[in-house]
Amino acid sequence: MAFSPQVLEFRKASVFALAFLLLSPVFALIILSFGDSEGLWPHLVRSVLGRYVSTTLLLMIGVGCLSLVFGMTCAWVIAAYRFRFSNWLDFIILLPIACPAYLVAYAYTDFFEYAGPVQGALRQLMGWHSAREYYFPEIRSLGGAIFVLSSVLYPYIYLLARTAFRHIPANFYEVAALSNRSIFWNIALPLARPAIVAGLALVSMEVVSDFGTVEFFALETLTLGIFNVWIGMDSITGAAQIATVTFAFIIILLFAELYSRGSKRFNDTSRTQAIQHAKLLTGTKSFFCILICLIPISFGFLIPVGILLWNVIMTADLAALREVWTVLRNSVYVSVIGAVIIMLSAITIASSSKVNASKPMRVAGNLSAAGYAFPGTMLAIGVLSCLGAADQFLSWTNIYLSGTLFALFFAYLVRFQAVGYGAVSSGLTKIPLNLMSCSRTLGLNAQQTTLRVTIPLIQKSIIVGAVLAFVDIMKELPMTLLLRPFNFETLATYSYQFAHDELMDQASLPALIIILVGLVPVIFLNKLLRA
Amino acid sequence: MLKFKHFVFGLVLSVVSLQQVVAEELNIYSHRQPFLIQPFLDAFTQKTGIKTNVLYSSKGLAQRLRAEGKNSPADVVLTVDIGRLYIYRDLNLLAEVKSDKLLENVPSHMRAIDNTWFALSKRSRIIVTAKDRVGPDEIKNIEDLADPKWKGRICSRPGSHVYNRALMASVIAHHGAEKAEEWAVGLVNNFARRPQGNDRAQVKAIYEGVCDVGIINNYYFGKLKFSEDENQRAWTKAMNLTFPNQGTNERGAHVNISGGGVALHSKNKANAVALLEFLSDRASQQLFGEINFEYPVNPRVNPTAELQSWGQFKEDELPIERIAELSRQAQMMIDRVGW
Repeated sequence: MAFSPQVLEFRKASVFALAFLLLSPVFALIILSFGDSEGLWPHLVRSVLGRYVSTTLLLMIGVGCLSLVFGMTCAWVIAAYRFRFSNWLDFIILLPIACPAYLVAYAYTDFFEYAGPVQGALRQLMGWHSAREYYFPEIRSLGGAIFVLSSVLYPYIYLLARTAFRHIPANFYEVAALSNRSIFWNIALPLARPAIVAGLALVSMEVVSDFGTVEFFALETLTLGIFNVWIGMDSITGAAQIATVTFAFIIILLFAELYSRGSKRFNDTSRTQAIQHAKLLTGTKSFFCILICLIPISFGFLIPVGILLWNVIMTADLAALREVWTVLRNSVYVSVIGAVIIMLSAITIASSSKVNASKPMRVAGNLSAAGYAFPGTMLAIGVLSCLGAADQFLSWTNIYLSGTLFALFFAYLVRFQAVGYGAVSSGLTKIPLNLMSCSRTLGLNAQQTTLRVTIPLIQKSIIVGAVLAFVDIMKELPMTLLLRPFNFETLATYSYQFAHDELMDQASLPALIIILVGLVPVIFLNKLLRA
Repeated sequence: MLKFKHFVFGLVLSVVSLQQVVAEELNIYSHRQPFLIQPFLDAFTQKTGIKTNVLYSSKGLAQRLRAEGKNSPADVVLTVDIGRLYIYRDLNLLAEVKSDKLLENVPSHMRAIDNTWFALSKRSRIIVTAKDRVGPDEIKNIEDLADPKWKGRICSRPGSHVYNRALMASVIAHHGAEKAEEWAVGLVNNFARRPQGNDRAQVKAIYEGVCDVGIINNYYFGKLKFSEDENQRAWTKAMNLTFPNQGTNERGAHVNISGGGVALHSKNKANAVALLEFLSDRASQQLFGEINFEYPVNPRVNPTAELQSWGQFKEDELPIERIAELSRQAQMMIDRVGW
């Protein structure tokens, strides 16, 4: 049974096939970009391209830095110390992950603008009467976008960094203490690098593909440019070209990091897995730790949710609640099934491509996650082309894929494979390779090894991935909007029809429910990780 | 394992569709939000017994229709500006409609030459000014907005939004590219802040004193005036509303349209045409005004009393397709001047 060449070949072929399937919408976009854009680029280079690129880079760097600060400081404080409320904080630090960035942007704009409570209170306090009498930072700005995006994206870094910090064996810390080196800078940070970079990669891709926030803040990023070219100049070709160039840039960035990591190994092969015990803090020190954690939590969760809650209470409408109920069922249904599909695919690809695999297989595995780097709407257009072609092919069967839930699940898989794949692969780097080799030597084939050795060992990573995928689908807007069946609303699309028109009161209830439902698996996740 | 396979099979069946033709249903791809078209569709269903299914998206529906090709379930396309209608026709996604009723209800400059699309309502791009800071006759024409006297006093949503792009196109159509770009540069120089927000946000900014002058679609004024939110009602009380370019030798205020067409591969063309006819008839034409403060295209229907109270206005009679043809040029100009 073991090692029969056919089995190996089949496994390889199936990984390549799956990766190809996941990449097909990306290929469709690349093919689209080969068309004639009718002299668009000289115009773009002369006028807006510089602005698009610099704004995108500044946004990426800004959000990268701020979410690193938020995510890593919290992760270290929580992993290395124990203090009053630290268990609670550990849990609520994750909550912003359930908040869609564009909805937080809407909420903050209401909150910080001239008519909002902050400036209102300031005016009352200082006796000012109009906007011209004082300076107040503009929330609809690059700085505002960096603030909003970092506040909701830092949990990606926190989650991965904290787990990594916690799994560093105690003896490493002892060595650091003995040789008088900084535990954080010399031990924890270098060892957690794959995890932190994985988090940072997710954050950067979210930033580049974000449309809702940058549109609302009128920031001229590449993604906004894609839409100006597509809708404004009626050039889907030009739009696909910008998207492809942006995509290539991100892929280069990711490979640069993989390459710089080189052949370094981050897994621990020692027999004793004694984990560093957190140091107990009291008094002022514990107060400061609480403060450090509370800052990002307030920005990413407490304040925006408070604003939404306030809107809902002020415009209490029970009729709306009934309507939202059906919509909620749709959202939960697609999120659960979508997350399961993503994890099955992520495990299949990662378990083959990460462990003792040939180079082409590893590349295929990494590339299969590339859909994450495209703006949702563009990817949806790639998906449409693929499904349209498939429907032509299937026309003799009377089965149609486009305009069905299948289209949605496929799109979610293409886009969020990165989330599942990232979690599974970072889990795999933690387990010693020789365990798998051992299992193979003892006569289990690759599939059995995956089922009986690998999956149980990385169970937690799988659940982390599934929860992240669930929450991401719950929040997903542009692809759902374009690919869904008739009369099918998710909370995100339902909320959008109002938010799009800046009708925040009507949009608040579904927005709040997106967040609350997203919290359920996050709570569960946290319980599990602590157990 | 057998059970698992059954489960997967069931799942697959539940997510793909086995398409059947149901005669008395109509599938609509809409760029207009569901909560705005539902009242029309409910009335249609009540009158005809035909059930309607809606797919709303602000972007990308033309691409979806194209990718679906002849398998597409769509029967009717509804959009909220001429640019998008034009794209559908450009991609050859709309069927030619033969309907005497539509020809009668929709004037010729408000429909495609080949009868592939029909305007269903009109909206005018108007100027709002702060009552206490701008005299009622200080701005007469859209061209006045480029006057340096307004430096630091004008608010606008981003130029690349369809409504502003269409306005830009209309200026190009009337003045030629060179003069139009001069105007756009002047306008941008007068902005009080980086272009942002939607039309509603411009009214708010004027109310807050950030600027004194804004350009909005007329229906936003109505929505704010009758908003459930008392703050929004207060905004409009502080504003004057101006239909630009009304003088005797002037061209009239720029108008845009919402409209619709029948999908080329619709399996249900008769009902699709019936819906368009229904939307161009008296009752629906009035409903456009009542629900969303839009003007009727049907010349035999008067605007609602509320709209009439804002004043009569002369509309720019530039063939509406010209706006769509100039869209690309307008967008490039907007890119160059940084609107």
